[in-house]
This record gives sequence, structure tokens and C-alpha cells, in this order.
Amino acid sequence: MIRILTVARVVWLDVIRRKDVYVLLILLAILLLALVSMNLFGFGGATAYVADIGLLMSWLFAWVLSLSIGCRLLPQEESRGTIFALLAKPVTRLELIVGKWLGACSVVGLATVCFYALVFGVSMLRGWSLPIVVALQAVALHAGVIGMIVAIAIMFSTRLNSDASATLAGALTATSFLVVPRIPEFVAQAGQLRGGILLFLYNLLPHFEIFDLRMRVLHGYAAVPAGTFALVLGYGVLVTTICLAIGWAAYRHKRFTRGSLSGY
Amino acid sequence: MRGVTVSFPSPGGAVMALSGLDLTVEPGQVFGFLGPNGAGKTTAMHVLLGFIDATAGEARLFGHDVRESIARQRIGYLPEHPDTYRFLTGRELLDLTARLFKLRGAARRRRVEESLATVGLYEAASRRIATYSRGMMQRICLAQALINDPDLVILDEPTGGLDPMGRMDIRRIIGELRDRGKTVFFSSHELSEVELVCDTIAILCHGRIVAQGPAASLVAPGEHLEQVFMKVIAEAEVAT
Repeated sequence: MIRILTVARVVWLDVIRRKDVYVLLILLAILLLALVSMNLFGFGGATAYVADIGLLMSWLFAWVLSLSIGCRLLPQEESRGTIFALLAKPVTRLELIVGKWLGACSVVGLATVCFYALVFGVSMLRGWSLPIVVALQAVALHAGVIGMIVAIAIMFSTRLNSDASATLAGALTATSFLVVPRIPEFVAQAGQLRGGILLFLYNLLPHFEIFDLRMRVLHGYAAVPAGTFALVLGYGVLVTTICLAIGWAAYRHKRFTRGSLSGY
Repeated sequence: MRGVTVSFPSPGGAVMALSGLDLTVEPGQVFGFLGPNGAGKTTAMHVLLGFIDATAGEARLFGHDVRESIARQRIGYLPEHPDTYRFLTGRELLDLTARLFKLRGAARRRRVEESLATVGLYEAASRRIATYSRGMMQRICLAQALINDPDLVILDEPTGGLDPMGRMDIRRIIGELRDRGKTVFFSSHELSEVELVCDTIAILCHGRIVAQGPAASLVAPGEHLEQVFMKVIAEAEVAT
């Protein structure tokens, strides 16, 4: 475990010192301040409107961070050549992958908590009342999504360079966000063959929409029942584990050559 | 290493990097591993470190299969073009590396300070590695390789790109390691360096050992290693 935590700590120090997270946090703060002070379509400063946009931006920024950090961690070790010194230590490739995942998830997760705190803080200052239990559930489930996205990014990056894995992981996760929830509508209108293919994709692709509690938070709906909440989190753990296992299977016998980006 | 063969897939047919390589390094030796560019020196080291699986044959370190992580517990490795996490300070890097060997508390801190002192980077230890010169980068990577007080140190071209002072430092460190009974296995194109520090020499060409033995028996009195090297390689080229 100490090796996994050490690998994760290096990821932390890398991300913190690169300052990507600070830039997004400042960007979100500027955006929220602008929303509060502007008067668009007569809804200027309306608290639910500010919280809605703020939460959307939090999801967007967390997605960008998860992809950009998750996709670069392993290819960066190869392109810098640091992989050689690292794997010459008694670190297994599984420990390396899990450590990278843990480091990326924890740092993006913490950044996301900061995004939420900022959005909730600004909205509450405008008189919005925060449904605490649902808000905590929303943050926890969002952390589950981050875990899945980082695992998908790392899975692709075990065999591809950072640009290629960002493209593929970005396309896959964006499809899961935007298209997968609407597949049942398409199935109803499609023929048997197309409907079957669509249903197969519906079951294969990750379902991020079940982790999204933004509407419940914004409208102050009741909290998700504990059993359902645990089931959704369990689904997230399952998807994450499958992606990391596939990544490890692709990485465990990968050959590293001098300065290679993808090995053989 | 016993009968180690490595071939890489290539569009024009498989490229044979190592061809039935047999190699044993005895404890306490400074072993010079020589060969022209493309001879397979780095590939052999990478097999030894478990970066590459051999197509055939077996490689063992201290009796363990090289693919087992425990085999790497007692070794230190300096790659050919050493680079590391430039966003860390020298001391942070060594501390994190020591954690990978499960060194704890005072023992870890002591090893970090000793390694910094060995490579002469004590004064610069609190600076970010991004600000280090080429020679300092080489030395912090060497310190990283020595953090676990390894019994076997594998150095791939340790003096490449260093100025004369830097090369002398590396020679001094290799000498100190030998005096402490450590085994040093290193490759180099600086044959004069090899002549100065090595007990045993092996010359590799086209993935095979073409000459091997104690330095004193390979190089006759009045002869230089460079002459021996050129002769052996020329003979190997003719034979293939």
C-alpha cells in the first residue's frame, strides 16, 4: 500500500505545482461573480440560475481535469524516460496503475469539492437554501464519476499516447454523458437489428446520468434512498475496477524502449 | 542471463536485439559491458530489469526471476538518459524513492542525507530539479539509484555528456561502491574510463558476447582497451 500511496503522492505534487486546478477555480469564481452581477433576460442574479450554471461548470471542469490528468500520467512517464527509473524499483505495474488512478482521483475530487463549495457559497450568499443531504450525495456521486473517467483515461493511456487517449476517452465519456441517456428513445423508433445494437451499446457504455443529482440539489428534492445510493456507487466501483483491470492487462507485459511513447 | 534472446517486431521482419546471450556477473565485481551502438547493451539491461520480456531464455537477479518485483529490491539503476520529476526538489525525490523501498522514519531520512552527500548535492537538495544542470541531473538520478544501498548497481552510460569533473565524480563513486563490496554493472563508450575502473569486461556485438574476461587478461601489457575492442569487433563483423 505504501508504494501505491507514494505513486499517488507524486501525482499530487505534479498537479498542484502545475497550477491547472487553480486556473479552473479562478475561472469558475470569475464566472460566478459575473453571473451574480449581470442581468441576462431579466433573470440577473437569480440564485437557482447561478447555482445551475455553477454546477454545470463544475461538472465540465471536473471532466476536463479528469481527462487531461488521467490521460497524461503514464505516457508522460514514458516520454520523459522516468518510467525506467520507476520500474527499476520494486514497484509492480499494478501498483503503478492503481497509484496513478488514486492520485488523479483524489486531486480532481478535491478540486471538485472546492468547485462545489464555491458554487454553494456564492448561491447561499444570494439567499439560496442548500439541501445539505442531497448536496452531500451529489458530491459523493460526482466523485464516483470522476473515478470512472480517470480509470477510462488511464485504460486508454496504457497503450496510446496522451493525445490519442484523451481523444478516445473524451469521445467515449462525452457519448456516455450526452447520448446514452437518450438511447431508449431511439430504440423505440428503430427496427429490430438497429434496436438490438443500440440496446447492446446502452448496456456496454457507462451510465453517468445516474450519478447526476444536480436537478435534485437545485429544486430541493428529497435525498436518494440509501439503498439506491449504495447501488449506484457500487456500479461506479464495478466500472472503475473493470477499466483498471483492462488497463493492467494491456500494461503488464508492455515493452519499454528508449524514449518510446507507445513501446511495442 | 541464460540463452536470452530478444527480437523486436519490425515492418521489414523481426529485428534480433539479443541472440542467446549468456552472462553471469559475480558479486563484488565492477563489470564493464561494452559494445558498439546497437549491439544490444541497453536491451540486455532492460531484460535484466524486467522492462522487456525475453523472447527466449531466462534472466535472474539474486536467484529471483527478473519479472518479480522482489528481484529489484537490492538493485539500483541509472538509465542512459536520466531524467526525473523536475517539479520535485532533490530531497523530495529521494524521500519519495526511499518510500518505494519501504524505508521508514529516521532510517529513510538518514539514507536520503547519505545519498545526497555521496553525490555531492547536499547544498542543492532544497532546489527544484528543474533548476539543475545536466551534471546535477545525472548525480541526483545516481543518488536515486543508490537510495536503497543496493548490492548491485546497474549504470547505463553513466558518464555520457558529462564534463571531465563529472566523469571523475562518477569514477570516484564507482570506486567507493567497489570498496564497500558492491557489484557494479555498467556500459560505456568511454573505454579509457572502463579500463580505469573495471575488474571484468564483456564485449557485445550483434546481440552476442564476443569477448569476456578479467580486464588484465583481455588487455595485454602495453596495449589499450580501445585496440582490443576494435580488433574484437572487426573479427566479429567478419564472422557474421
